[in-house]
Amino acid sequence: MRKPNEIDFWRGFALVTIFVNHVPGLWFERFTFRNVSLSDSAELFVLLAGWSLRLVVDNQSAQLTLWRLVLRLGGRAITIYAAQILITMIALALIAGASLLFDAPVVLDWHNAGPVFVNPVESHVGLVLLTHQLGYFNILPLYVVLMFGAPMIGLVYRIARPLLLPISLAVYLATLVMGVNFHTWPVEGRWFLNPFAWQLIFVLGFELGGRDGLARWAQTHRRALRLAALPIVIAGAAAALLQWSPDPIRVPDPKLLFMFDKTFLSPARVIHCLALVATFAGLFAYLEGPLPRITHYLSMLGRNSLNVFCVGSLLSLMGQLARFLLGGTVGIDAIILLLGLSIMGVVGWVSEWRARSQAS
Amino acid sequence: MARALASVLILCCGLSAAAQETSQEQDVPLSPQCEAPSALAPAAEPLENAAASLQRGRTLRVLAIGSSSTSGVGASSRSKSYPAQMSALLLKALKGVEVEVTNRGVSGEVAKTTSERLRSEVALHKPDLVIWQLGTNDALARVPMEEVEATVSATLDWLKENRVDVVLVGPQYTTRYARDPNYAAMRDLLRKLAEQHKVLYIRRYDAMQAIAHARASQQMMANDNFHLNDLGYQCMAEHIARAVVGGIHLRKYRPGGMP
Repeated sequence: MRKPNEIDFWRGFALVTIFVNHVPGLWFERFTFRNVSLSDSAELFVLLAGWSLRLVVDNQSAQLTLWRLVLRLGGRAITIYAAQILITMIALALIAGASLLFDAPVVLDWHNAGPVFVNPVESHVGLVLLTHQLGYFNILPLYVVLMFGAPMIGLVYRIARPLLLPISLAVYLATLVMGVNFHTWPVEGRWFLNPFAWQLIFVLGFELGGRDGLARWAQTHRRALRLAALPIVIAGAAAALLQWSPDPIRVPDPKLLFMFDKTFLSPARVIHCLALVATFAGLFAYLEGPLPRITHYLSMLGRNSLNVFCVGSLLSLMGQLARFLLGGTVGIDAIILLLGLSIMGVVGWVSEWRARSQAS
Repeated sequence: MARALASVLILCCGLSAAAQETSQEQDVPLSPQCEAPSALAPAAEPLENAAASLQRGRTLRVLAIGSSSTSGVGASSRSKSYPAQMSALLLKALKGVEVEVTNRGVSGEVAKTTSERLRSEVALHKPDLVIWQLGTNDALARVPMEEVEATVSATLDWLKENRVDVVLVGPQYTTRYARDPNYAAMRDLLRKLAEQHKVLYIRRYDAMQAIAHARASQQMMANDNFHLNDLGYQCMAEHIARAVVGGIHLRKYRPGGMP
């Protein structure tokens, strides 16, 4: 296993935050950073996913031929797709099981699961095509689409490296100007996290994960960037605390460029997320000494991010069911949090133990 | 004074003929199966922006957002969901006007998530009117009332700032949760918030309960006794359409209400 490092640490941090944020009403939710921030753990997670992809492309796959790189990245996309289908099925069974056990059909509705039970013929097609997603299970479908795009990213990176960011930016801008998004089906709607827009932060993570280009530039101007980022982080905190956002009627067209939209990942959210990175990058080095257990725990979660994410999503759902049945007191919330964090830790540990025993 | 007078007109369903005299548009009649005591009709609040848009001869754009009751879980087909049925009723009542109803219901969703989608949809499509159905899932997921209050308040303020009218639609009546204290607290909270923010509030629970008590043999619920069936959605559509048309009239024919 690789040693605890900053990327894994922040990925673990994002995973814990996503777990807590996905139990609505949980008392501890008030301590997550989205309460004082414009962007939230979803942006951080996708940025770091792009960052990790770069490490894979540069380190583990540097020797691969172009064709093998494309195959390898495509294979990773299929793994994530399989994970999405698996956790969706388990989530549906949890929901159905809870509704049977506690005679509570209300639960069948949760997370947009209602149509699967009421209209199974169309919904099952939608589940497999990812056009029907369970609520809170919508980060992984985005990740699947981004990873299916990863071979293309790898290709452009190998063939025409300087074009990668401009292409990504062009797709992003076109998406925001035209307001295009994936449709959902059979329920009429649009994807909660628009992959055409969110690919930008994925590619930005990919760019920053390297040692040349944007990453090198950011490294050389580290101090200046941190100074520039601080006011943005503070402004983001103020906007979140005051619940201020631009008036969509008054902002000029194309409006999505000037708003704080999550579905289309408005520029303000991208800039804020980058400012967070500029401000807090390097924090790991200061925390590792005084807080070895916490930093190593989060790094372990981050190293096994897909497994931990999948189990974390299901744990969030179980936490919601527990709150529904037992009521949402601080005591119950504390138990949910402790159990959740412990199980996520066990998942990380078991994943590494398996990898170790396979290697030996 | 004029507003109070108009309120009385709208409140008294029995006097709908009188309201009609002042307008060329028709009121939305309730079918016998959906009749509920007039005391349960929403307190009159004018729908300023929707009326202004109609006066300029523009299409009335309505965003129906919420959870399963909006997406239509339990209905026999998509055309039986409440937004689809309401669209037809509005078209009929507001003669000669184009009506465009967008359905953005996601089943099981809590208000916090809906409010994020709502902002995005409003920014993109600029509806004149948002019909936000909410409360059931937050109450049953035990989201703290203060949190729901903060979310709904902030969203209502935001809609007001952006000159979008809003109608709040509360949780449905079901014998399953008739004794759940959280379920009752949610209805009180939504009613209070609607009063504070001066928006129309559809007391779905009370209206459905009244209908159920008056016509015990009439089935408004799907098999699970939680979702509505086609008739349940029809009543929901009628009550909401009626309130919307009432709100539009109120603005349009109120002396001094003209721009």
